[in-house]
Amino acid sequence: MSVAPVIEADGLTKFYGRNRGIEDLSFRLEPGEVFGFLGPNGAGKSTTIRTMLDLIRPTRGRIKVFGLDTRVDGAAVHARLGYVPGEFGLYERLTGREYLDAFASFRGGGGAARIDELADRLTIDLHRRIHELSHGNKQKLGLIQAFMHEPDLLVLDEPTQGLDPLVQQSFFGLIDEARARGASVFLSSHVLPEVERVCDRVAIIREGHLVSVSDIDDLKAAALRRLELRFDRPVAPAVFDSLASVVAVEAHGDALLLTIHGPVDEVIKEAARHTVVSVASHEPSLEEIFLHIYRDGAQA
Amino acid sequence: MNRGVMARTVGELRRPAIGWSIAVVGVSLLYTAVYPSIRSSADTLQAYIDKLPEAVKSVIGAEYTTPAGYLRSELFSSLGLILFLIFAISAGSRAIAAEEERRTLDLVLSTPVRRRTLIADKALAIVGVTFVLAAMLFLATFAAGPAFDLSMPAARLVGACAMLALVAIAFGAIALAVATATGRRVLGNAIAGGAAAVAMVVNALAAQVPALRPIRPLSPFRWYLEPDPLTHAVDPANLAVLVGVALVAFVVAAVAFERRDLSA
Repeated sequence: MSVAPVIEADGLTKFYGRNRGIEDLSFRLEPGEVFGFLGPNGAGKSTTIRTMLDLIRPTRGRIKVFGLDTRVDGAAVHARLGYVPGEFGLYERLTGREYLDAFASFRGGGGAARIDELADRLTIDLHRRIHELSHGNKQKLGLIQAFMHEPDLLVLDEPTQGLDPLVQQSFFGLIDEARARGASVFLSSHVLPEVERVCDRVAIIREGHLVSVSDIDDLKAAALRRLELRFDRPVAPAVFDSLASVVAVEAHGDALLLTIHGPVDEVIKEAARHTVVSVASHEPSLEEIFLHIYRDGAQA
Repeated sequence: MNRGVMARTVGELRRPAIGWSIAVVGVSLLYTAVYPSIRSSADTLQAYIDKLPEAVKSVIGAEYTTPAGYLRSELFSSLGLILFLIFAISAGSRAIAAEEERRTLDLVLSTPVRRRTLIADKALAIVGVTFVLAAMLFLATFAAGPAFDLSMPAARLVGACAMLALVAIAFGAIALAVATATGRRVLGNAIAGGAAAVAMVVNALAAQVPALRPIRPLSPFRWYLEPDPLTHAVDPANLAVLVGVALVAFVVAAVAFERRDLSA
């Protein structure tokens, strides 16, 4: 690709004393891309992000944002960036509006005009003092300060924590808008459906190492899915076992528990030949995807 | 300088500044108001003090027969000084470390605000507020003095208040350096506060304990109090030493902050 990447990590390594934070991470975030950074808690997601923001310094390797070294050109990089940390404190004595106004002025006024609109969409009362707010409402303030100046890059570390489902929808709407105006998003999460919902590509990180970087569609296709089909009478497992996408079948009375790799289409068509009482689909957990990727040794 | 950071820092210091102003003015008025009764018994008191061992006398530094001596021993080298030190040290310790401990720092530094701008603006705000407190002390003492037989030349009082502010700022800068370098407010308070206590004792005892004399120049209080700013014009060399200590400590703080990994 000839366009310069928005983020470029090259052998990025961070040790805390002798403890490994992250080791030898290399990845690129292309302009306009929504990039998921998926991994269990403690895998090194926040370490990567805080290195990106020059809050901590890499032990080895480097990370560039907008082609610049944040250590040297921090102001230029940060002017075009919005950040929601995984955990953050707010100035508790201020009201939400005072807080957001302060952040607008840190940015030389950027974003002040959008505060009301965003507060409306995320449903937060800006007149209340921050120490009176719930965790979810504080999270909303974090989101507003990151989005209000319409940055070219959003760096979001577990941004939906504490948000109720309705607000999560509004949040996804904000991501879609950012994407529509050409912004790039780096979204860390340990929740797969969230990443699936918004990301184009996803990197999986585990114990400080990058396990894979893949298109979200490939990852979904690679993932094992569990399907529980309950019929009005017992059905022989063999008819499903012979299907290409079925990895395993277990029979439990009237029900069959299928492990599926790939499209479920032929399974559904086969099932339709019987009387189906209920269908329960189980989305694979992150751990299951990890296991699957490790077992195949693929996509690394 | 970032206007947003400055506004935010001043906003943060406003409440403490009001509280400390009240304390400083209150203490000044209290000491000024009791001066007539102290003075009427000053001869008796002085006779008593004269009988004390030299070492004790030098620690108290007591000399009650003149307004300058009284203000020096009761205000500028004791309670007033301690109030200024507590204000500056706790403000210095808080400036960056409290933001780090409360996890508000990551967000500020994710904006175009740079670490050096943040710490410089915060330091500047603390210096400003300390001088406001010094101005309050001057106004209260200067305005109330004549009513209580405690008239002071304005120039001497201005000089003493300014030097008081500077010695407090020097220790505030040390607190800023320690707390910012470690990310821990309590260490800033403990080390700068401890250093102030030791420096105060060393300076006071050095007059009587020859062994302490060689290290007396290490005590910033030596440069604050000798010659007495209440009776002499401010010595430019003394002023330079106090400003120098503050600047060196500030540079240490800024460099340490620039180089550190910030805690999450």
